Amino acid sequence: MNRKIKVKNGMQALVSLLMAFVVSGILMAICGYQPFLIFGAIISGAFGSNSAIVQTMIQATPLIFSGLAYIFASKAGMFNLGMEGQIYMGGIAAAAIGGMNLGLPAPVHIGLTLCAGMIAGGLFGALAGVMKACFGANEVISTLMLNFVAINLTSYLVNYPLKAPGPVAQTQNVMPSAMLPKLSAHSQLSAAILLAVFTAFAVRYFLGRTAKGFDITVTGSNRKAAQTAGVRIRRILILAMFVSGAIAGIGGACHITGVDRRFVDGFSAGYGFDGIAVAALASNRPLMVLVSSIIFGALRAGALRLNMTTNLPTDFISVIQALVVIFVAAPMLVEDLKSSGYKLAGRLTGRRKEAKEQ
Amino acid sequence: MGEDAVSMRGISKRFGNVAAVDRTDFHIKKGEIHVLLGENGAGKTTLMKMLYGMIQPDEGEIFINGSLANIRSSKDAIGYGINMVHQHFMLAGYLTVAENVVAGWEPDNTRVFSYKNAVETVRRLGGQYHMEVNPERRVQELSVGNQQRVEILKALYREAEILIMDEPTAVLTPQESDELFNVLRRLKQEGKSIILITHKLKETLQIADRISVLRDGKITAYGIDPEKTDQEELAALMVGRNVELHIQRRSKKIGKTVYQISNLSLGENGGHKLDQIDLSLRKGEILGLAGIEGNGQTELIEVLCGLRKPGTGSLILNGRKMNSQAREFLGNGIGHIPEDRTTRGLVLSMSIEENLMLGYHHQSEFQKWGILRKKNNRLIAERLIKEYGVKARDGRLPVSALSGGNQQKVVIARVLHQDPDVLIAAQPTRGVDVGAMEYIHHMLLELRDKGKAILLISADLDEIRSLSDRIAVIYEGRIVSEKMSDAYTETELGLLMAGGTQ
Amino acid sequence: MNIETIWISTIRMSIPLTLAATGSIFCERAGIISLVLEGMMLSGAFAAVCGSYYTGSALAGVLCGILAGTLIGLLHGILSLRYKVNQVISGVGLNLLVTAVTTLSMQLLWGNRGNSPQVQGIPHFTGVLSGQSVMTFITLALTAGAWFVMMKTRYGLRLRLTGESPEAAQTLGLPVQKLKYSGVLVCGAFCGLAGAYLSLDHLNLFVREMTAGRGYIAYVVAIFGRYHPVGALLGALFFGFFDAFQISLQGKGLPPQLFVVLPYVVTILIITFAVKNIRQPDGLGKL
Repeated sequence: MNRKIKVKNGMQALVSLLMAFVVSGILMAICGYQPFLIFGAIISGAFGSNSAIVQTMIQATPLIFSGLAYIFASKAGMFNLGMEGQIYMGGIAAAAIGGMNLGLPAPVHIGLTLCAGMIAGGLFGALAGVMKACFGANEVISTLMLNFVAINLTSYLVNYPLKAPGPVAQTQNVMPSAMLPKLSAHSQLSAAILLAVFTAFAVRYFLGRTAKGFDITVTGSNRKAAQTAGVRIRRILILAMFVSGAIAGIGGACHITGVDRRFVDGFSAGYGFDGIAVAALASNRPLMVLVSSIIFGALRAGALRLNMTTNLPTDFISVIQALVVIFVAAPMLVEDLKSSGYKLAGRLTGRRKEAKEQ
Repeated sequence: MGEDAVSMRGISKRFGNVAAVDRTDFHIKKGEIHVLLGENGAGKTTLMKMLYGMIQPDEGEIFINGSLANIRSSKDAIGYGINMVHQHFMLAGYLTVAENVVAGWEPDNTRVFSYKNAVETVRRLGGQYHMEVNPERRVQELSVGNQQRVEILKALYREAEILIMDEPTAVLTPQESDELFNVLRRLKQEGKSIILITHKLKETLQIADRISVLRDGKITAYGIDPEKTDQEELAALMVGRNVELHIQRRSKKIGKTVYQISNLSLGENGGHKLDQIDLSLRKGEILGLAGIEGNGQTELIEVLCGLRKPGTGSLILNGRKMNSQAREFLGNGIGHIPEDRTTRGLVLSMSIEENLMLGYHHQSEFQKWGILRKKNNRLIAERLIKEYGVKARDGRLPVSALSGGNQQKVVIARVLHQDPDVLIAAQPTRGVDVGAMEYIHHMLLELRDKGKAILLISADLDEIRSLSDRIAVIYEGRIVSEKMSDAYTETELGLLMAGGTQ
Repeated sequence: MNIETIWISTIRMSIPLTLAATGSIFCERAGIISLVLEGMMLSGAFAAVCGSYYTGSALAGVLCGILAGTLIGLLHGILSLRYKVNQVISGVGLNLLVTAVTTLSMQLLWGNRGNSPQVQGIPHFTGVLSGQSVMTFITLALTAGAWFVMMKTRYGLRLRLTGESPEAAQTLGLPVQKLKYSGVLVCGAFCGLAGAYLSLDHLNLFVREMTAGRGYIAYVVAIFGRYHPVGALLGALFFGFFDAFQISLQGKGLPPQLFVVLPYVVTILIITFAVKNIRQPDGLGKL
């Protein structure tokens, strides 16, 4: 039974994704582009070569973290829309710690750096958790506002106190001892992706198998019942927001120590917001995040390549992501679209048949 | 004999595979009070919602005053002079009485709305029917009885000729019920037809001109003369077999106090929600807490189960002072059957298995080193499902798939499996069918005989009176009286519940 | 710092907040969660620039803005009411969609993802009221109108009842769906106008994500103003002041990042400490 529901949700998500592709394809056609051409270019840009695949993985990594972060909070019934800010906080903390010459061996320095990112993101998330748990502040608002705070705060830091010499607003490079190791000598892909996959399994295990995880899911499903069952709601909400922020924070830290090697002003480019779409496409299931992140990572990678080689508009992928969020939340809408799509197809093929007969 | 005011013919309504109402005929004469009797889930409310246009029948016709009526919505029904007072009041608590009464049928019939006019109109209407309610008060500030008056005023204001009342006495004291019945009789004299839905037998005999019984979506008896029947016959018609109406078996052996509640007070917004409450729950005794809803029962339950910290006072369980978290209360042997199982007792979207450990999942029976013992927990769940007769194919099904009675069994199984010393049972039979009700009543008595201390909180005074060994009456957060239950008469209890003194 | 400049600037910053918050009041009083204000405003801002760009008339631009906001309102209504989507997700999803679509459209129309070309803006008064935008007075009139409609008309009563208790409205035979749609559409129109003001009153161009969270701030303003149009006006002035103050600090050699966040921090403080006892409509989010 449960399995059936899971399969049904998975199908629902898949159909939503297809639907989003179809709608944005129609949009492209209206704008005078050839949708198949663009999608083809994106796909070859994402999977066409080894380096393309690596780029897809690199793009997918932060999405895994932010998708998991969103899921973790939403399991406790909280909308964490502040992942963007938590990524920045995690990133700046990692850049600061990673930039220090502590004379530590690499594994320790890396661990310390990632921990710093985790804690910074976690505390920033927990802030919204505390405001919700103790004062009832709507977390949608507070997390979104905190994004602006984080973006501007880090921007200040890299423009003034932590600015490296030179024209660009960025920090100094992190120490080599704080850099995440590369998976192979020739590619850009770092161990961050392994950490991301591990996190996905850890989140799943924690939520599905532990008593604390049970506390969280109960709180998210029915807060009153959770309270009656002796769950300390406030602590759970704060805990969930802390962990959610921490996951996003590690994502930021990984990006700093694995890809950019320093904190560049405004580096995240919406990784946090994309987590919402990633989680939606994964039907809020931690392991499915791995799949949905690769799909959206591929879109991003493909679009990047497209951007470099042509001047085709790449913001179509943001449209696709937003549509996925809406469609996954609206199964009834998808059903309606599906049936009207069939009808339309039927009418078209019918007409074609008529034409042939004539 | 006058013409039928309402005539429903061959009405059916199916929900999925279940026929809620099955080819039913039902007629009401002008100027009568017709009681529609039936147990929960018999289809009474469904039938009446069809008359009021809230749902559409799959088949059948409705005639009003002899001519075919086309009722597609409540608006149409109101046009035919039909109005319904629902069991859960349909009021906007934050708006005033006047606003609630006139909305959708405003007095001036212009786009601009004159609040002053509305207040005046409602005041006049209240005077006319002897149901004075201050039209400028917010509805949420009124007592339940007065909220019901607002509902009736709403109907009268819309010139209702046919008034449907769904379980109107469920939340009233006996005195308030009497008052309501006087209002209904007055309305009858003015020529209104009244359909009263209930499952209470005594009041049926008290108020009805004619009685019809609905069981499993069918009318099993139509137009019975109340002079020519009695409670036993009606009960048998309603349930389809003979039932034990009033189980009464007092405790043979009342032991020492297990849970001592002393001088408990709880303040909220400057007022007292609970005021110096002293109660003792003893081994082998059911203590019934009688009172109109909203007099502090919910708060008392919350304090007794550790969900809320009291302002002052002490809770002593087996000689140990309790002042910690709900989880410790549960762990130390206080079982809690919450008053609202769907919002507090269960997580509907989660499986039966998970619900069977809810609240106890941190105990070593269910987890080790913080990790849930999945296989073991499944076995426990399977055993409990069998033991308590929960009708479910699979423990992995979500609880939402179960009927109300079976959901309540899940709650009970969870609590009793822990073998608590004290059981706080709040509205344990609300919304369950007669079969499940009998089961739960017997179970409570059995537990008592095993030496458990039980606190029974119920809105149903008959339930309290038949099961309790001792009764305490709560009014505005205070225990106003406490005696052995046989020392009370019903009138006396009713008066106490309404705040009267002896 | 000049008090008069801050005052004028306060008024200027509070106009879009007033309008959007007033819209939010209609939406929330009808029982629909209005976390879609941001998207409504952004679409309004973009459509207004488009309208003005292609017709050369600011008025046509403003009308386009109102239309676009209303369209987003319609989508939010359809998703919430017809397809029973969680209203928070619907709102956030639409906000994401509008952000994506406006950026994409800029790229398609003008080949620039950052900002649009300059267009004809809303006229400002000369003479006695020199410098004041026409919009200042339109906003005041609309606030008064919103108050009248909400509190003094049959429609307002029915809308409030529907938002408080859709079940009650249903049993009274009121057209619950229509009323709710009307609330969310009015909200869209107000926000569209607010967006048009943002793009056409001062800058006279569209900048990517130019609403910068104002939709969410307006949501808080509506609560802070106790879902009352006059309260919203006062709340908007309060927030507008901090925005104005923040702007007055710019260009003084201080790091701008440190005071750009002021309105956001104030919003966080308000939502955390000042609105706890403000009641939301009982039927909010219910169908």
